[in-house]
Amino acid sequence: MPYRRLEHTSDVRLRVTGATRAALFRDALRGVAAAMRPRGRGAAVTRRVRLEAADGTALLVDFLSEALALMQARRESYREARFTRLSERRLEATLRGTAVEGFGEDIKAVTYHEARVAGGAAGGWATNLVLDL
Amino acid sequence: MNEPRWPLRALTPTLWEIAPSARAGMRVPARVFATAALLEEIERDRSLEQLVNVATLPGIVGWALAMPDAHEGYGFPVGGVAAFDTAEGVISPGGIGYDINCGVRLLRSRLSRAEVAAAAHDLGRTLFAAVPSGVGRSGRLRLAPAELDAVLAGGARRMREMGYASEDDLAHTESAGRLEGADPARVSEHARARGEDQLGTMGAGNHFVEVGYVERVLDPAAAERMGLRAEQATVLIHTGSRGLGHQVATDFIRRMNQAMAGYGIELPDRELACAPFASTDGQAYFAAMAAAANFAWANRQMIAFEVREAFARVFAGRDAGLELIYDVAHNIAKVEEYSVGGERRRVVVHRKGATRAFPGDPVLIPGSMGTASYVLEGAPGALAASFGSSCHGAGRRMSRTRARREATVAGLRAELAAQGVTVNAGSRRGLTEEAPLAYKDVDAVVSVVQEAGLARAVARLRPLVVVKG
Repeated sequence: MPYRRLEHTSDVRLRVTGATRAALFRDALRGVAAAMRPRGRGAAVTRRVRLEAADGTALLVDFLSEALALMQARRESYREARFTRLSERRLEATLRGTAVEGFGEDIKAVTYHEARVAGGAAGGWATNLVLDL
Repeated sequence: MNEPRWPLRALTPTLWEIAPSARAGMRVPARVFATAALLEEIERDRSLEQLVNVATLPGIVGWALAMPDAHEGYGFPVGGVAAFDTAEGVISPGGIGYDINCGVRLLRSRLSRAEVAAAAHDLGRTLFAAVPSGVGRSGRLRLAPAELDAVLAGGARRMREMGYASEDDLAHTESAGRLEGADPARVSEHARARGEDQLGTMGAGNHFVEVGYVERVLDPAAAERMGLRAEQATVLIHTGSRGLGHQVATDFIRRMNQAMAGYGIELPDRELACAPFASTDGQAYFAAMAAAANFAWANRQMIAFEVREAFARVFAGRDAGLELIYDVAHNIAKVEEYSVGGERRRVVVHRKGATRAFPGDPVLIPGSMGTASYVLEGAPGALAASFGSSCHGAGRRMSRTRARREATVAGLRAELAAQGVTVNAGSRRGLTEEAPLAYKDVDAVVSVVQEAGLARAVARLRPLVVVKG
């Protein structure tokens, strides 16, 4: 399973793994989208995202924060990300998903708490993520 | 999981200190207001490590403080208070939290417990329909950009101009419901988009509207000053700045993480991201935070308006009263002055899960459904020992997952019904996650702030009708 939910006293903690950096980012997006518990399914949507960050961990958290903001503001849920560029500090991606009626969970933010993107070796990529409820 | 123990020295039975020698880089001591039993609970997570981290931040004055309801947060512990010199210190969005100006508003009514109890079912359903909760339900106002700017700049004062507040409401709101220096231009498009239809909405999680009653008056003179008496029905509103405030925090934690190297600041935790208060980045955040705080005060004011309308429908022909006792934030930064070490210092006080407790001002401590809430009054000790701050609630002690495992909807409803509590919740999941068993003992928390001289208990409230997301 590319992401799984771990115990956390007040919020949501995810363990995300992926064979590649792109897989990690995509599965982290799916983890956040699932944690929001979208309700209803409408028309297909796509959104473009371009970001720069100080390092790989900040890039992942900033990417997910951007997706969270778009999902909440536009009432959309993204299940797929296609990366036209993805390096340690830069990304360009197209997010694909659907319009939704609302969400069952009010995720305030994707935090940097416990996030540490590590990988690149044969073991693949992994990080924890904590979402503030 | 028990975290490594820090060297704590008891200064009094309710105040503990970690000396600056405990870890390299600490600029001031870290102090915890707690009994030995509450301290043991606090030591089970990383609250104290986070508090020690706070004590290393540039320009911190006095102490890094944790309240008895402290638990692990992001960067700062929840239940944390820290003051930074306005000239030499920093401001940190993580020291305010993602829900800027999350806070509590208490209204008193002319109705009795018995009158509300007789109408509980109708009142619960009417309030649930009137106050949008959960995620995705809009408020009655959808603000055009210029209207949103006016709310961000004017806070509850703007709601007065729009006909949703009285002068008496503003007079009984912290900072009259409006922080000076708010700059709507510092609030991003994402934040605006997340907030434009959320004015007058409650959200989810531990936010609620609760109709209760005064179970016990603990300080008759103070209760009389606040217009409170035994068996009187009350309304508590607990919510904040919604998605707009969450996004302001996200935007500035990111911005400060990028800017810190330029200020020569290195930190053990990215969630502590900060910038000198006097810098461009620090002032930009302060102006955006003030705008989000104003949005939160407008939000609670709008919800109070909806609650008054709902009461008027349910209790047709009766004046329910519903006068505001007080509205106070527990996630905010404010510029205040204190005597520290015999010297008068102008500081930016960060309260994250901590309530302002100025002498004579009401301090509102919400419980969870099925447990008591408290009305306190700030005491002089708070100015000397806690930068005018007190606790903010019971604090979680159990994960949402475990709460869902241990509480069932049917069992919880039956338990609450036996206590005379009616609950209207948007989601079954949200209901069990917020079960009373998931929270610490609010009585023990309040007892500490009272014994420590930070605030005095005025009245204990019990819920009758709870409306949640």
